[in-house]
Amino acid sequence: MTTNTADGGAPGAAGASRAARGARRVAMLAVRKLWFIALILVVWWLVTALGLVPAYKLPSPGDVLGALENAIRERELLGALWDTLLRLVTGWAIGVACAVALGLLTGAVPFLEDGIRPVLAGLQAVPTIAFLPLAILWFGFNATAVLVITAFGTFKPMALATYGAIHQVPPTLKMAGRAMGARGLFYQRTLVLPAIVPSLVTGLKLSWSFAWRSLMAAEIIVSGTTGLGGVLELGREINAIDIVMAVILIILVVGILFEQLVFARLERWVNRRWGLVGAR
Amino acid sequence: MTAEPLALRIDGVSKAYPNRGLALAPTTIEVRRGEFVSLVGPSGCGKSTLLGMAAGLLAPDSGTVEAMGQRVGGPGRERAIVFQDAALMPWLNVRHNVEYGLRAQRVPKAERRTRVAEALEMVHLDRVADRHPHELSGGMRQRVAIARALVLRPEILLMDEPFSALDAQTRTVLQDELQRIWLETRPAVVFVTHNLMEAAFLSDTVYLLSAGPGRIVRRYEVTVPRPREESDPRLVDIRQDMLDRLRSEVNAAAGRGDPDLAPADALAA
Repeated sequence: MTTNTADGGAPGAAGASRAARGARRVAMLAVRKLWFIALILVVWWLVTALGLVPAYKLPSPGDVLGALENAIRERELLGALWDTLLRLVTGWAIGVACAVALGLLTGAVPFLEDGIRPVLAGLQAVPTIAFLPLAILWFGFNATAVLVITAFGTFKPMALATYGAIHQVPPTLKMAGRAMGARGLFYQRTLVLPAIVPSLVTGLKLSWSFAWRSLMAAEIIVSGTTGLGGVLELGREINAIDIVMAVILIILVVGILFEQLVFARLERWVNRRWGLVGAR
Repeated sequence: MTAEPLALRIDGVSKAYPNRGLALAPTTIEVRRGEFVSLVGPSGCGKSTLLGMAAGLLAPDSGTVEAMGQRVGGPGRERAIVFQDAALMPWLNVRHNVEYGLRAQRVPKAERRTRVAEALEMVHLDRVADRHPHELSGGMRQRVAIARALVLRPEILLMDEPFSALDAQTRTVLQDELQRIWLETRPAVVFVTHNLMEAAFLSDTVYLLSAGPGRIVRRYEVTVPRPREESDPRLVDIRQDMLDRLRSEVNAAAGRGDPDLAPADALAA
């Protein structure tokens, strides 16, 4: 009986200490990942609390939080956020679709790729926003011009990523497909397109960040369009620096959420389905 | 020359690659229907190049290839190929990988299903039909690649070192399986390998190739009845003869000894 009690007690104790060790590890991880953010917040708060910088140049963390809360309660910021996200997703999707279609079409014909690829690479040297005046002249000082710029900002890196991905498809896979009789559109749709998906994910992430940049710049310049860029510009005009910083925070949070919720999941799914992890 | 119809006629083909010179000197090989032919030799002897041209994936610089009496200008339905790396589609499961060629050739769905099931059964993969390639061992992946070729019911099966990346046990098992499958379905096979025993064990005819540039140095006819055992002394003798011949080739290439080469066409076993 005594041995039984001892045996029964030991695993429980071991389990408890394992749980404690686990909790300590999580705490350590949190400290390692968060200490710098905490430091920024403290320094920021100190600088404002000691009055080292006037409040119209740098509001306190509390003021920014208040502005954020206010704006969210009054719904106008949420509306702007929605408009911006809708524009971002639409512009990005159009840019991605065009880029992948062009990449597949011209990637299949060396003559087309030889001519078109250098032009695309050259266009990379021109920041997308430099095309905004042109877009405004063509489409007007409106949301359409902003959308076109977003799609174009997506398109350039995505098209190059598609070429890169096509050239990474293993030659024997292509030969196997052709030897089995796959040709033309069937070959592109059932072999090349799925084969490039894993490398396209990187391009999707890259082009997403390019879409964001182009969209924000365009929204700020084409004031009068609804959206976060418009709110930023308005905040500058009326000297509402707390709103300006609140919007920057929102953009940051949206960026992190998309990275974690959308792209990280997409990457995991692709890696599993295409056997890139756990492969024997 | 027999009057028997040929499956494959490779007539005086040669191939040079930029910066590497002549990979294959003009070479002639005839493969009868249902015949198992191996091309064996060291790296760089042009055996894979020959196979690529037979598959229609490479264009010869000179000469012609005829498959089932038709001039080869690209891949064709009478031919199927198995590569050294299984070259499966990682996003498709085993069943869909095997089905792919039938879809490409627009075979109706009901027929696809029965033919895929048949091919999977032949290579003993029916129980893993829903798995993805990365969940399979190397040997099983190669079985999928073989099933994917067999499902097309080719008259000519081209195999480019299909067992080279496998461990010795798996390799032996798959050699036996290939012998059994070939006896059941009897396509003409062109089998590329650098393993002399494998070539002797599987083939009716073995072409021994040498490098720099690639050319046929000897042709062996293996008349040992099937099914065969690898330990058969007649096969062991043939292997030894091939090995001796290859050694003298290597010595010749190194500038020692006499090349002792006759024109390929004059070399009959």
